[in-house]
Amino acid sequence: MRDVRIWFSKSGAVKYVSHLDMFRLMTRAVRRADIPLWYTEGYNPHPYISFLQPLPLGVETCYEPLDIRIEGEIKNEEIKDRLNAVMPDGMHIVAVTQAFCKPAEAAYGEYKIVLDAQDIAADDIEKIIQDGALTVEKSAKVKGRKGTKTVDVSAAIHSYSVKTEGDTVVIEVTLPASPELTLNPLQFLESISNKYGTTLYPLSACRIRLLCADMTAFS
Amino acid sequence: MNKKLEKILPLVQKPARYTGGELNSVVKDKNSVDIRYAFCFPDSYEIGMSHLGIKILYSLVNARADAWCERVFAPWPDMEKRMRENGIPLFALESGDPLSAFDMIGFTVQYELCYTNILNMLDLAGLPLYAKDRTALTPLVVAGGPSVCNAEPFADFVDLCMPGEGEEVTNELIDLLKEHKKKGSTKAEFLREAAKIEGIYVPSLYDVTYNADGTVRAVTAKDGAPTTVKKRVVRDLDSVYYPDNLIVPFIEVVHDRVTHEIFRGCIRGCRFCQAGFLYRPIREKSPETISRQCEQLIKTTGYDEVSLSSLSSSDYTQLEPLLDKLLEWTIPQKVNIALPSLRVDNFRKDLIEKLTSVRRSGLTFAPEAGTQRMRDVINKNVTEEEIMETSRKAFEGGWTAVKLYFMLGLPTETDEDVMEIAALARRVVDVFYNLPERPKGKGVSVNCSASTFVPKPFTPFQWEPQLSQEGIAARQELLKVSNKSKKVQISFHEMHVSFLEAVFARGDRRLSKVIETAWRNGCKFDGWDEHFKFEVWMQAFEECGLAPEFYANRTRSYTEVLPWDHMDYGVSKQFLIRESEKAKQAKTTPHCRQQCAGCGADKINGGECDARRQNLVF
Ligand code: SF4
Repeated sequence: MRDVRIWFSKSGAVKYVSHLDMFRLMTRAVRRADIPLWYTEGYNPHPYISFLQPLPLGVETCYEPLDIRIEGEIKNEEIKDRLNAVMPDGMHIVAVTQAFCKPAEAAYGEYKIVLDAQDIAADDIEKIIQDGALTVEKSAKVKGRKGTKTVDVSAAIHSYSVKTEGDTVVIEVTLPASPELTLNPLQFLESISNKYGTTLYPLSACRIRLLCADMTAFS
Repeated sequence: MNKKLEKILPLVQKPARYTGGELNSVVKDKNSVDIRYAFCFPDSYEIGMSHLGIKILYSLVNARADAWCERVFAPWPDMEKRMRENGIPLFALESGDPLSAFDMIGFTVQYELCYTNILNMLDLAGLPLYAKDRTALTPLVVAGGPSVCNAEPFADFVDLCMPGEGEEVTNELIDLLKEHKKKGSTKAEFLREAAKIEGIYVPSLYDVTYNADGTVRAVTAKDGAPTTVKKRVVRDLDSVYYPDNLIVPFIEVVHDRVTHEIFRGCIRGCRFCQAGFLYRPIREKSPETISRQCEQLIKTTGYDEVSLSSLSSSDYTQLEPLLDKLLEWTIPQKVNIALPSLRVDNFRKDLIEKLTSVRRSGLTFAPEAGTQRMRDVINKNVTEEEIMETSRKAFEGGWTAVKLYFMLGLPTETDEDVMEIAALARRVVDVFYNLPERPKGKGVSVNCSASTFVPKPFTPFQWEPQLSQEGIAARQELLKVSNKSKKVQISFHEMHVSFLEAVFARGDRRLSKVIETAWRNGCKFDGWDEHFKFEVWMQAFEECGLAPEFYANRTRSYTEVLPWDHMDYGVSKQFLIRESEKAKQAKTTPHCRQQCAGCGADKINGGECDARRQNLVF
C-alpha cells in the first residue's frame, strides 16, 4: 500500500466539471485504467482518492495534484500511461510522483488570466490594482440568514504582472489558496470588474501551479 | 466551443450540461458523412442522459461511417434565457452546430408532459413549429418513444413517427433519407416512400374527420400510406445491435450506472399499465449475452454498478443463472448489481442473499390498490398474504423503510377501497412490530405514494374515464383522514399533472393548437413541479374552444373510433375488450407463462412470444 500523487492538466469542456464531479470522473478513470486500488474494509468498500485544492468552474489547470492509495506493484510511469489511455479529452496526466508535501502546505496558486484587449487595456488593470480597495461579494451569514458581504481583497494579492500580447491582455497573478484564505482567479477578476464598471469575461483562466508558504513549488 | 457560448457558460447552473466532450461521445468530420442526425431529448440533460434507449440508438447510428449522430437536450430555463439574449440557436453537444444544419432531428417522446418542450426546442432552433411550414426535405423532424403510440396531439409538428423499437427502423430511415437527399427529392416524395417502411407513421398522409359531438369520425390514409401502421419489434435480442461503450456524463445524472435491459415485454397484464401492453410480445436476452455486454460496458465506462432493467425483473426466467454469471466477475471487480422492479410475490430470501453486494436503499412495492377486489379489477395478481410475507422477509433482512405505491381513481373504486389503503399500510407496520427479531432500536417507516389513475391507449382501460378533479381531491382527503398511524406517511402526486396526462394520452389532433397556445403563454418543463402552470394550460384550452374534460373524463364506447385506431401495436382490440369486460366483473387473467391470453402481440413478431416458448412457471 502506498500513496501516489497524480499531476493532471485540464482544459476544454472538462474545466466546467465541478470538484465533486471530478472525484467521480477520476474514480471511474482509475477503474478503467485497471490500477490496483486500495479499498477500505467493510460492507461498502471504497477507494481512497483525494483532491487537494478545489478549482472554480471554468478555470483550467496545468499541474494539479490528486492523491490515490494503491496496492500491489505498479510503477509510477505505468500509472501515468494507463491513465492517459482512458482519459476524456481535455484531461491529461502530466506526472505521477511520490506525495512530498502535505496537503495543508499549499499556500498560494499561480494563475494566468487572458482577457480580450478590446474589453480592457493593460494600463487600466495596472491602475485599478495600484489604487487598491478591491472588493468582492462573498456569501456569508448575515444575522443568521444567508446573504452576502463585501470583502476587501487588495491585501490578499501576493504579486502580479500585466502585459499586452497581441490583441490580448495577460495577467499573471499569485493568489492565496490555503484552507484559511482563498482568492480564486474569477473572484480576482470580479474585483477588477467591480471597479472597472463592466463585467470582464476571461478568454481563459488557468492555474499554473501551487506554491508553499515559502514560495517554493508544492510537490 | 464558440466564444459566444464560452461567455455565457460561467453564468449558468451546471455548465457541463452544455459542453459535450464526455468520455465515449463521438466526434466525426462533418464533411465525411452523408447524414447528420440530431437526437433530441425534450427534457433536461440529467433526465435524458439516464435514458438507455437514446444511448443505444446514438451508438447504433454512429457505428455507420456515413452518418453522425449528436445529442441535444432541452436547455434549463436559465440557459435558455442567456441563449435567447445572445442569439445562440439550439445546438448539438458534439459539434456545437445549430439544429438547422442537420438532416434529421429526432425527438424521443417518453411522456405526455414534454410536448411543450418539443415546441420550445424547435423554436430555439429557429425552425417553424408546424411540419407543413417546414417545406424543405431537411431538416426532417421525426419522433419515437412510447408516446408515439398516440402521436395525434403533436402529430402536426412532426414529419414522421417511428412506433415501436428503433434499432432496425432507424437505419432504414437513414438509408432512405440519404438516397432521397442525393436525388434531390421533395419532402412529399420522400414521405410517401418512408410511409412504406414498416414501423413508420407519416401523420400528414392521414386525414382525420370528426363527428358533430367532437369524436373522431374516420382516419383515412392517402397517397398509398397503409391503413394501419404496425409498430416495429426486434425479434432476437441476442443478435440485435448493442453498443460496447456508453457516454459517461461529467455531471451526476439520475441513473449514473450501466443499465441493462434483460427482457422486453411483460407477462403480467396489469390492466392499467401501458408499458405492459405496448412492449409485448415477451423477448428475453440470454444470461450469456447480458453478462458479456455488461462486463464490456463496465470496462469501457468505469462505472461500479450494473442495474438490470425490465418491467418486472423477477419474471426473467433465468434470473438465478444470470446472477451467478454476473457475480463471477462483479465481485472481484467490486461492481454492485441493482435489481429494481422486483415483484412482491416472488421476492425471495435466497435472492436477497445472492444480492448482498447490492446497496440497500429503501425497498419499494407496488400493491397499487388496498383491497383484493380492486387488485382483481386491475389484474394485479398479488394477495394480501404475499404483501405481508414479503414485508416480513424484508424486515428480517434488515430493511426498516418500505415504500408502497398505490393508485387512486381506478375504475369501480369505492370509498372502502380507498380506506383500505391506509389499513393495509397499517398492517405492514404491524408486521414489523410483531417480529421477534426485528432490528433493535429502530423504528419502521411505511411510505405510501398515491398517484392518480390515468387511462392510457392500448390498455383494457382505454375506454374508461378519469375520475373528475373534485372526485380525486375527495379521495385524497379520505385517504389522509383514514390514516391513523404515525409510522405511515402518505403522499400524493400532483393531480393536475395527471389530469393533463389523461387529456394528452388519449387526445386527438385538435390538441396541437392547445399545446402551441400553452407554450406561447409560457408553458415548458411541465413535468417539473416548479415550472408547471396549470392555469395557463386551462386558459389555453379555453382560448382554443376545447374542453379538457371531453378527453379525460368521458366514458368511450367500444364502437367509438379512437384517435389511435390506425396504429397497430400488436395487442388486438378484441383482447382489450375481453380484458375490459373481465375487469368489470373483477375477474383476473393468469399471467402469460401460466396461460397465453391471446393478446395478439405475437403476430407482430412472426408468431413468436418467449412467454409461451419457455414453459418455465415461476
Ligand atoms: S402472445 Fe400470449 S403469452 Fe405472449 S404476451 Fe400475448 S398473451 Fe402473453
